[in-house]
Amino acid sequence: MATSTRIDSTPFGMGKASTGWFIILVALLAVVGAGAYAYSRQIVEGEIVTGLRDVGPAGGAPWGLYIAFELWAVGIGFGAMMLIAASRLFGWSHLVPLNRILAVMALATLFIGGWSVIADVGHPFRAVINIIRYARPMSPFFGTFTVGLVAAFASMLVYLYLDGRREASIMATRPGRLRGWFLLASAGYKDSVAERIRRQRTNTVMAVVLGIIGVFAASTSAFVFGVQQGRPGWFGALQAPGFVILAGATGVAATILVAALLRAELGDRESFGPKMFKWLNNILLGLTLMYIYILLVELVTSSYSSSAHAERVTDAIIRGEYAWMFWLSSGLFLLTAALTAVQAIAGRYNLRYIVLAAVILNVAAILKRYLIVVPGLTVGRLLPYPEGSYNPTWVEYLVVIGLAALAIVFFMVFMKVFPIVSSQNGQESEGE
Amino acid sequence: MPKYGMVIDLEKCVGCRACMVACKVENNTPEANYWMYVFRTEEREYPDTKVTFLPRPCQHCDNAPCVKVCPVGARFKREDGLVATDWERCIGCRYCEVACPYGVNSFNYADPKKNQYLDWSDADIESATGGAVPGYANPDLDRKSQLEGRKIAGSNHTKGVVEKCTFCVQKVEKGQNPACAETCPVFAITFGDLDDPESAASRKLKASKTFQLLDDWNTKPRVHYVGTPPGEGAREIERPKTRQTGGV
Repeated sequence: MATSTRIDSTPFGMGKASTGWFIILVALLAVVGAGAYAYSRQIVEGEIVTGLRDVGPAGGAPWGLYIAFELWAVGIGFGAMMLIAASRLFGWSHLVPLNRILAVMALATLFIGGWSVIADVGHPFRAVINIIRYARPMSPFFGTFTVGLVAAFASMLVYLYLDGRREASIMATRPGRLRGWFLLASAGYKDSVAERIRRQRTNTVMAVVLGIIGVFAASTSAFVFGVQQGRPGWFGALQAPGFVILAGATGVAATILVAALLRAELGDRESFGPKMFKWLNNILLGLTLMYIYILLVELVTSSYSSSAHAERVTDAIIRGEYAWMFWLSSGLFLLTAALTAVQAIAGRYNLRYIVLAAVILNVAAILKRYLIVVPGLTVGRLLPYPEGSYNPTWVEYLVVIGLAALAIVFFMVFMKVFPIVSSQNGQESEGE
Repeated sequence: MPKYGMVIDLEKCVGCRACMVACKVENNTPEANYWMYVFRTEEREYPDTKVTFLPRPCQHCDNAPCVKVCPVGARFKREDGLVATDWERCIGCRYCEVACPYGVNSFNYADPKKNQYLDWSDADIESATGGAVPGYANPDLDRKSQLEGRKIAGSNHTKGVVEKCTFCVQKVEKGQNPACAETCPVFAITFGDLDDPESAASRKLKASKTFQLLDDWNTKPRVHYVGTPPGEGAREIERPKTRQTGGV
């Protein structure tokens, strides 16, 4: 039977941990610990240990690396949600094995994105309580961090649970240390034909929900910046579509990296086959081209006949202090497009080049997120304050590196307790 | 209910920054936090240089961007026109600060007690004080406001929260003027009920040609200026020096 054959090959070393796995885990936990130590200094001393300072007379940026990192991380999460939705709704069967990877990736990145916001606020404990107790929906902050993050995280959890029940029920029939866990995860699931049909319907509905939440959440992240008329360099109607497209692109790029790593680690060339990478390459190409278009439109609009204030920000980005970062990130977006386009046009796909394009796209996206946040604060002033500056400190770097390591730990541990690859044949036979 | 506002006469202002000092004394603000700030700017090049002064308190906007973006309602608009910050509710996200086009907000990056003007831990000072740190604080700042019973004066200069000019709400609720208006040696700052046509501020507003800072941005500030605003090319010529901003 196709389903059981598939399931026989899904354990992927679950429940077993090699020495190498342990060494990597300990190393990552050490990095997480270093981040926690840095954050503890911030809690004790205050954010004076960061490079953040007030706008105005102090000439600084009150938001910086934490927020840029948050945008990048949640962008991957929102992008992963949109990719799950697209693959389900449009029947992209080659991407179905990725669905659980996407779900776990989304959960991990949304989690660390939320934490980077917590790291940024002055009163983290009060924030957790007051955002619920005194929630004000008119604030874009509320939209992003309450509706966006919480709804996205909750819906991904629900999706992961519902999607994984069938495999959990099959895994629960097999002896092993994790049997109890699989019994719990599949509680109430019978794997009958009627239940499979219901599960497929549920997955379709969830795909629609995830797609909507993904787009909505990425847009509200953009509104945090785009609706601020008093902040030159931020205000603009293109922020929201730009955020959605960049979220999609970073999500796809991160998926390529994870899929390539899993292909190498698990030696599973069937699940992570050439067609999957071809699809991912082409989706990445499409999204990158769309984002380059957005960048061009932004550039033309802001440099043609904008206000003197907005012009100062554009000038700082194109020719001034931030020019190296802007041109580097723009060049990297173009390089991503070129690498993926050449393969699409030639019809020959090389995994190394696809992975390279994914790495480049993510570096470009991080730089772009930084450019969205910082120049509008240090240069985008309306009164004659002096130009500001912002340089992240070791505390900020360690906190975000620690959070990134935490996401990888989350992924590594998940892989050991649940099949990370969705059962493709299982999906196809769902409606039997 | 009065609707307070302020009229600042730039033609009278001499840029002495006494208002900034008065604000600091009244509100015990930490170092580098300027609830009232006076721009000393110049335009054009020597020998045609034009020097201008622009006092900048919080504009207490009727359509305040900071109020709109606050995710927890810590920043709010009072019925009497003041824009206030509830220190006990603020989570320190600094969204108000990035949304404000006037740059009036200050975040307490460090414990303000360690951030006052004199470094009380300095060895020389400690030898003179015997390690004692003066306990001076304006007791009025610690009281809850009469209007809504929330702590909105400068009482809790607390690490991790945002603060800004309150129009000296603790004085206004007693029928007094803000410290900056009381201190100005040339009577450039007039404070009062702009809904009362007989108030000094209303009379001044009626008698003069005024402008509002960044009025194109539709923030509807409650601070009006008499005179001409600094031009596009205005550049700041002298900033207050602190240990945080360097120079001391």
